[in-house]
This record gives sequence, C-alpha cells and structure tokens, in this order.
Amino acid sequence: MKGPQFRRLQRLGLGLGLGLCLGGCQSAGLQPEAGLNPRLAVPGDDSSPSLGNRGMAWIAPGLGGHRQVRWLDFASGLGSPLPGLNRPDAQPISVSVDGQGQRFALVRRLEGRTELLVYERSLALLRPIPLLPAGVPGQVALSADGRWLAVQVSRGGAWQVELLPLP
Amino acid sequence: MNRAAIQRKHLPWAASPWWPFALAWLLPLAGCSQRFEAPGLGDQQEPALSGDGRLLAMVAERGGRRSVRLVERLSGRELPLQGLQRGQPHRSPSLSWNGRYLAVIMQRDSRRDVVVLDRATGQWRPLPLPGDRVPERLSLSPDGRRLAIEVLRQGQLDVELFRIPSHEADLPPGAPL
Repeated sequence: MKGPQFRRLQRLGLGLGLGLCLGGCQSAGLQPEAGLNPRLAVPGDDSSPSLGNRGMAWIAPGLGGHRQVRWLDFASGLGSPLPGLNRPDAQPISVSVDGQGQRFALVRRLEGRTELLVYERSLALLRPIPLLPAGVPGQVALSADGRWLAVQVSRGGAWQVELLPLP
Repeated sequence: MNRAAIQRKHLPWAASPWWPFALAWLLPLAGCSQRFEAPGLGDQQEPALSGDGRLLAMVAERGGRRSVRLVERLSGRELPLQGLQRGQPHRSPSLSWNGRYLAVIMQRDSRRDVVVLDRATGQWRPLPLPGDRVPERLSLSPDGRRLAIEVLRQGQLDVELFRIPSHEADLPPGAPL
C-alpha cells in the first residue's frame, strides 16, 4: 500500500504514538491541582503544609499580617474556621494534621517561649504538651490516625526526635 | 451576664456533652516519650510518621551528611532504604499510610529534586516540578496520591498541591477502595 493513503496512515500512527507518549509522561509525574491551587495563592509567605485525607493545614498570612494556621477542605475548595487555635500574638512555626482533619499538632512562639500543643477541632480545645526534660520544639508530625506525635526537640544545642502517644 | 452566657463565652467546651472526655484528655502526658538514638548519629530532625505511627522517618546527620532514616517504632530497628544515595543531602521526608511511599527532597549539586521511593518495588522516582520552583518542604497525603509542596519561587514561599496519578492508593488495612 503506497501513496496518499499510506502517508495518511503513517501520520495518524505517528500522531497517536506521540500523543500516548506525552500523555504517559505527564501522568507519570506531578499534576497541579488546578482547581485548588488558585485558592492558596495569596500575597505573603505560606509554609508548613500538612495533608489529611480530605484537606490540608498550613501556615499562611492572615488579616493584620500575623501568621495563622489555616485549613482548606478539598471537596468544597473553601477554608474552614479553627476556633481557639490562632492567636494574633502567637507565631506558628510548624503544624501537622491527622487524616480526618480533626486533630492538629502545633509548635508556636508565644511571649518569648516556644511551645508544643495539640488542638482538638471538634471541641475547639488547645492543650499544651509538656516536654520532659525541657527542650525547645521545632518541627512536628502527627500520624494520620492521630494517635502518635513526633517532634524535633533541641536540648543543649543538639536536635533529637521524640515520639509521644496521644490518648 | 448570667452563668450560662459566661460559660458559653469563656468555656465553650463545657457546653458540650463531651466535656468529661475533654477533661480526661487534658491529663498530662509527661514521661511517655520515646527516642531513637544510635551510635554515630548527630542531629535528628524533620520527623514524619506513617498513618498508624508504626514507621518514623527523619533526617539524621551521619558523618557530616544529612540523610533520611526509616525506623520501626516498636523494635527501634532501622529499615534499609534500597538505592538510597547517602552522598546527597536529604530533607523533609514524608510517608504514606503503610509507609509504601516515602517522598523526600534530595540535593543534587545546586539543584533540589523531589523523589519518591516505592518500597513495594524498591524504585526511586524523580518528580520534576514545573517552572523555576525550588522545593523546601513536602507533605504526602495518607493515601500517597497527593503531594503538598512548600516551594520557593521568585523570592516568595508558596504552598502548592499536586496529584500523583501513577500511585496506587496506600490505604489502611480494611479500608474500602
């Protein structure tokens, strides 16, 4: 089979092959969440993302310029209030959320102290977690089931990682 | 202001039927922590946990290099990471629910790349970022199919969300597919 029909088939095959290759290459990597990313694009620095099953917690600039912990629900594409978690005089440093978006671990700086806290969203309750012996907490991580908390702690100039069970 | 109004304003949790549980939850946890030290290790930072806390990943300093370390909580045993290039500094590890996927930022000369280890196959896979973004911190979703990245771009820190369509969902045992 020679002539225009053959060349048309050749071009079709080449186009299909290229399309499949490009599609495959794209799906093998990262695909931006085009519907959600514009909702995160606000002026100022955003940091400390933590993913749950249905949403994300992170630290973002809030009203008045102070930084605050925020929550984005993926299904609605909207933020949800976190009553009792943010204080205008506190500087959040690291946040981590469980899989259900109900329990948050937070390290923040308040009145010259750096403190580790756990926030229960359904109760709007914030609880300090003591470190013994005393140390300065840094980054924090919560397990998706919300039962374990790992925290980076500075003592005597050295960083250690500690694991704490949560009730 | 009556007593109920004062209670609503200053003790909102006390209006909830769950307040006895809340009080129990306030009991201190002091003295329950577990540490994971090992000979030859320096600073340990940037912890990450699997969904049920069975696995702990962190960045540990060994011989002046920062490399990711994966530890089993119950035994304290360090798990091997196949194909890990310890010569290149790592940062910000993140784990999926069962620890099948481990995402980490790897420094290669002046470049920083996001890479993911699939512990089921032992394959490390680079996940290139679009544009001129420099990754600073990662969070993998519990099912391993989403990644949130703190990126430095044109002098500003942003958080961006990505899907990883090639990943199978790493769900808790018994969870519906």
